[in-house]
Amino acid sequence: MDTDRLRAEVKELLVSGLRLDVRPADIADDTPIFGEGLGLDSIDALELVVLVEERFRISIPDEEVGKRAFASVDALVDFILQERAE
Amino acid sequence: MAPAVVITGLGAVTALGGDVRALAAGLAEGRCGIGRVALFAPTGRAVAAEVREEASAVVGCLPPATARRLSRPDRFALLAAAEACRTAGLEPEFGRDAGVYVGTTTGGMLATEEAYRRRRAGEDPRFRLSRLLGTPLATAAAVVSQGLGLYGPRETFSTACSSSALAVAMAADAVRRGVVPLALAVGTDGLCRLTYAGFDALQALDTEPCRPFDRDRRGLSLGEGAAALVLETDAHARARGARPRAAVLGWAATSDAHHVTAPHPDGAGALAALAGALADARVPPDAVDYVNAHGSGTRQNDAVEIGVLRRVFGRRLARLPVSSTKSQVGHCLGAAGAVEAVATVLALDDGLLPPTVNLRHLDPAWDDLDLVPEAGRRAPLGVAVSSSYGFGGHNVSLVFGRAAR
Repeated sequence: MDTDRLRAEVKELLVSGLRLDVRPADIADDTPIFGEGLGLDSIDALELVVLVEERFRISIPDEEVGKRAFASVDALVDFILQERAE
Repeated sequence: MAPAVVITGLGAVTALGGDVRALAAGLAEGRCGIGRVALFAPTGRAVAAEVREEASAVVGCLPPATARRLSRPDRFALLAAAEACRTAGLEPEFGRDAGVYVGTTTGGMLATEEAYRRRRAGEDPRFRLSRLLGTPLATAAAVVSQGLGLYGPRETFSTACSSSALAVAMAADAVRRGVVPLALAVGTDGLCRLTYAGFDALQALDTEPCRPFDRDRRGLSLGEGAAALVLETDAHARARGARPRAAVLGWAATSDAHHVTAPHPDGAGALAALAGALADARVPPDAVDYVNAHGSGTRQNDAVEIGVLRRVFGRRLARLPVSSTKSQVGHCLGAAGAVEAVATVLALDDGLLPPTVNLRHLDPAWDDLDLVPEAGRRAPLGVAVSSSYGFGGHNVSLVFGRAAR
């Protein structure tokens, strides 16, 4: 899958899945997903794992992997591409 | 002597509008907020009083992520509570010892139902935690307390359709006994499939907007929303320069110990609640100027309720206005007691009797009574009572008095 399209899909999933009050296009590629960035909390983290695992058919087995995968939109896109390649 | 308990702030989100001003105007004009069900595809043909316009988001001290996930009833509760605190003129730091007393029956059930629907439909193979967060009934009290920074005790009551009448009574009790200097009583509930289908299965829903006390009444109309009242001692209100809108003179709660849905045919429990509340208020029945009835519009309730009123007020009932606010905002279940308490306080404060709308043919069994048909009416009022009767025989009566000027 084309990286740009995957990036747009990730942003769309963030907004619709977590019902965020921003437009997908307004989320910067390097915005941290947690903490200051999008104002998400620990419950959003649990939700996001489920959403990403289901949509992209990948597995986020533990917190360490989660931290790396959810560092930013770009990091998540890279993680999905890497998981799919394996 | 126990201190006088007064009400200094009001808030409401109902089918008549997003605040108390809209509710007061709707009551005065005799507007009916009951119409088509839009929230979900209903199974029956009945109508309901949905909240259409929600005032702009009030998040107070809530973190954005929490505010984003609020269930409808939790959002209604926060909006009404914030309005009540604002109109009471409360400063941000007032909440150190303020208690929060909430009545509700189904909490965020609508979102819970949606989670199950999506799972069954294969749209969400796994449950989504965020859709279940509003399920516990205590979340409304938590949201109000966190959103407004209130640090006193928090209590949640679920006694069916008298839940928030009981919340008002228990808030007043805590203030009167000196447990808290200030209390917020809140009622909230949102329409959901569970309540709709349940009342429909019981054949308790009218297919037209409900017609309390009408000869042709066929049942109730469900409503939703929230209402909130700020209670404090008269001395506490005066010390901070707040204007009492009304006084809470007395209250009582009783049980029918009879049936899971039907009221006791003799109305013994309802009678004991009303008599008990008047006794607690030290008000003789002759001093009562207005009754805000439970008035659900079911054949049984209205007949039993009028019977109780006849026994308490005797022949004087013919000259005592009685009306049902449920004819305008529907039966708001867990929110009903608080919504009707607000309507009763407005009646005392503004000298305006709220009407019973959709009342075209008085039942011949009570065609001697004044049920305030069609539109509100000016009348100076000194004492008013509001009663709420919940399924399972949960009876609560509240007695309010005009505030000393």
